Amino acid sequence: MREALGIASAEELFADVPKKARIGRLGIDPGLEEREVVASVDRILAKNRPLTDFACFLGGRVAARYVPAAVDAILSRSEFLTAYTPYQPEASQGMLRALFEFQSLWVEMTGLDVANASLYDGATAAGEALLLCRRVHEGTRFLVPASLPWEEKSVLRNYATGPGLHVEEIPYDPRSGGLDLDFVRRSVAAGDVFGVLADVPNGFGHVDPAVLELKAALGDVPLVIAADPLSLTTLAPPASYGADVVVGEGQGFGTTPSFGGPLLGLFACRREYVRAAPGRIVGATLDAAGDRAYTLTLVTREQHIRRSRATSNICTNQSLIALAFVVYASLVGPRGLARLQAELAEKAHALAAALGGVDGLRAPRFDAPYLGEFTVEVDRGTAAGFLDHLRARGILGGHSLADPRPGGTPRTEQVLVAATEWVGEREIQKYADAARTALGGAEAGA
Amino acid sequence: MTYRQAHWDEPPVWDLVPERSGEAPPALPGIPEGFRRKEYVRWPELDELEVLRHYTRLSQMNFGIETGAYPLGSCTMKYNPKVSEVLARRRNAAELHPYQPESTAQGALEILWRLERILVRVTGMPEVSLQPSAGAHGEYASLLMVRAHFAERGESAQRTEVLLPDTAHGTNPASAAMAGYTTREIVSKNGCVDLDALRAAVSDRTACFMLTNPNTAGLFESDILEIARIVHGAGGMLYYDGANLNAILGITSPGKMGFDVAHLNLHKTFATPHGGGGPGAGVLAAGTTLAPYLPIPRVVKEGRRFRLDYDRPKSIGKIKTAYGNFGLDLRAYAFALYHGEDGLKHIAERSVLNSNYVASRLGKLLPRPFRPLVKHEFLLSGAPLRERGVRTLDLAKRLLDEGVHAPTIYFPSLVDEALMVELPETESRRSLDHYVEAFERAVTDTPENLHAAPRSTAVRRVDEVRAAREPLLSWKDLRAGAKS
Repeated sequence: MREALGIASAEELFADVPKKARIGRLGIDPGLEEREVVASVDRILAKNRPLTDFACFLGGRVAARYVPAAVDAILSRSEFLTAYTPYQPEASQGMLRALFEFQSLWVEMTGLDVANASLYDGATAAGEALLLCRRVHEGTRFLVPASLPWEEKSVLRNYATGPGLHVEEIPYDPRSGGLDLDFVRRSVAAGDVFGVLADVPNGFGHVDPAVLELKAALGDVPLVIAADPLSLTTLAPPASYGADVVVGEGQGFGTTPSFGGPLLGLFACRREYVRAAPGRIVGATLDAAGDRAYTLTLVTREQHIRRSRATSNICTNQSLIALAFVVYASLVGPRGLARLQAELAEKAHALAAALGGVDGLRAPRFDAPYLGEFTVEVDRGTAAGFLDHLRARGILGGHSLADPRPGGTPRTEQVLVAATEWVGEREIQKYADAARTALGGAEAGA
Repeated sequence: MTYRQAHWDEPPVWDLVPERSGEAPPALPGIPEGFRRKEYVRWPELDELEVLRHYTRLSQMNFGIETGAYPLGSCTMKYNPKVSEVLARRRNAAELHPYQPESTAQGALEILWRLERILVRVTGMPEVSLQPSAGAHGEYASLLMVRAHFAERGESAQRTEVLLPDTAHGTNPASAAMAGYTTREIVSKNGCVDLDALRAAVSDRTACFMLTNPNTAGLFESDILEIARIVHGAGGMLYYDGANLNAILGITSPGKMGFDVAHLNLHKTFATPHGGGGPGAGVLAAGTTLAPYLPIPRVVKEGRRFRLDYDRPKSIGKIKTAYGNFGLDLRAYAFALYHGEDGLKHIAERSVLNSNYVASRLGKLLPRPFRPLVKHEFLLSGAPLRERGVRTLDLAKRLLDEGVHAPTIYFPSLVDEALMVELPETESRRSLDHYVEAFERAVTDTPENLHAAPRSTAVRRVDEVRAAREPLLSWKDLRAGAKS
């Protein structure tokens, strides 16, 4: 090709890069053969211990859930895996149709009218929801539960900072962990609240009955519900109790935890908000022959058209993970999903019962309904010490709810514990036994 | 070569599911009545083979890199190595929970740390964070860092403007607006930043200048060192949009060019698959001024151990849950190991060679604006086709019939009827020649055929206007439409 171009060396191709801006060597190692790459990466990965080596009770927004082999078989199809955003709809009907199905499923689950084709993760979806609320309602204050995971509060504060908005925390009842509705009513009455977010289940893992009364306290202030998708297979669609926007973390449907990424941001809203909504949206239309076809639509909201007046900056989203979501749901089916949620709830209640008698541990910490997760509080020693003790006995016992930043929020010795598909009666008993020894009690049966 | 994409008439889902099941899922203990779902989620009950067939058929109606050349400009659609896919699926990579104790995830932390060290060399910047999910996410985080920096210096009320060239990706102004800045476009001269216009625009209101280099016209901004002096002279920060890094790997770096903060797209330059629109993996790289503001946690090495460090008092905090798209970071790390020092530089050389070769050949068919030497991508103008009543859009659709993908079209807006072509280093000479020949056939075809294109794809030309005018955005909308 150089001959065709009439150039002698590759160097001539970079004649426009000034000498003073040139670098010598990068200073990284020489390349490896594929076989050596595999050996090298495997050597490092061997220093990990996958959660499947343990009795795993880790949860929160990232789910340790089994991914059926068929999901990965679909995702490995190179036509899906290696495609770009479907800018040429005629050549991309497969992904467009799959994303349309994904949107349809999230619409069915939430009871809302419109879903987008995905955002980065649940936390950034909440951030985008905050910005949407501000576009449809005046004000500078956005209320979130004080029990929201610290990571999500931090993400929300970042989304709020640009437009000069404030994220304020709704206190919770110390007994139930539920929202203080009087605080919400007073804040809304004081004015300047443009949106309120509540999560289902909440940051403590509980289903807070106060959420059902939230919309009545808000009037025309938009309500955002951050919902766990599995919970929605047995819980009422949030639109039925007044949600105007529903976001969520969708990784648990068909994607392994992968140390926290990729994740999947779910987003749905009322129809009247759609032109203010963030993200790619797939719509159905017709082709020149009058046949059904799909395409990215309402693009005048988006950054490549509207630039600084776009509703969001998002370009690359999580399409493949959205595909995993809808494939997973289709494989397990609506009944299978509800059954899975019921099984996890049963295990969680069995674990709570087993931990209930452990001295020095409040389990569950809060008196409120729950599904597959709940919070315990370590009254003797620290949460970190408690979890270390469990880990040494082959148990991933949950994660601390404390904000790890030095001098951040008040310290807490609370631990979120989740029932997973990887545990059964034996692991639950093992957890209870180890909890006893961790807190200074005797080994069960010893 | 003739091309025909599959066309499957897959049934709409609502044909498979009763409109109302009327059946409620089991009530779970303690859940209040108002919270109970009255009816199962409406979705079909399918068996595994039905699901596999359905999505296999959909995949056959989708074009990927392994189908054919995919020359979307600024998207760097290169081959995604299979070995990276194998490694990302290892149990001790995929089945790792982000909240596992650090002692059980030393390998994951080491991969992140090692990839960061490689990216420090590639960017010429001292500190890197892998937290952003995508390029635009990294841009946005960069501007939040700039904002935090000026807030600390008490200049945030004053520095309210972000400047960018008219060739900037749309995400740049959108990210700047989300970060609370007003944006001002600098008009280009001969496809590059006009230094006089930049000098006239910078002031003590300037927070940041956002620049892609090479830019979206495929041109290297040769005045980059002077641009840095102008922006820094006004007290502003210089931001590097890394979408086009492929062209300069090992040749120059954002740090060497004088940038203060940068984002990279691992899903472009480091060959992680784009998944039909995502996930990506953004990377933030920062110079010494802005490094303290990078998101937490940072991965640090102490002796032979790795840990997550949250003790960064100036950090902007979190921009997403966990630490980034680890599954993609691992793939990018494998890619970097495979190529190494010489391989990375070779990528830049080969992608620029490919681009100049194809540009010189396609330049005989359609006019090329600006100077002839380009980097990894180049622009063509479809304006002369207008005489025949043909538009760039028609040409793009006609290319699909050749079994290749269309270039990016109608961007950047400074070129009339623009086509932006990027054929990265993984396209062979044979593939490039094939693309040129396909382009020749397309551009010389009759207006009737161009207007009727595409004919070989799963559907004919899609009515996008109708989609926007009468939005049908879910099965629910289609069902409502079908009834009325």
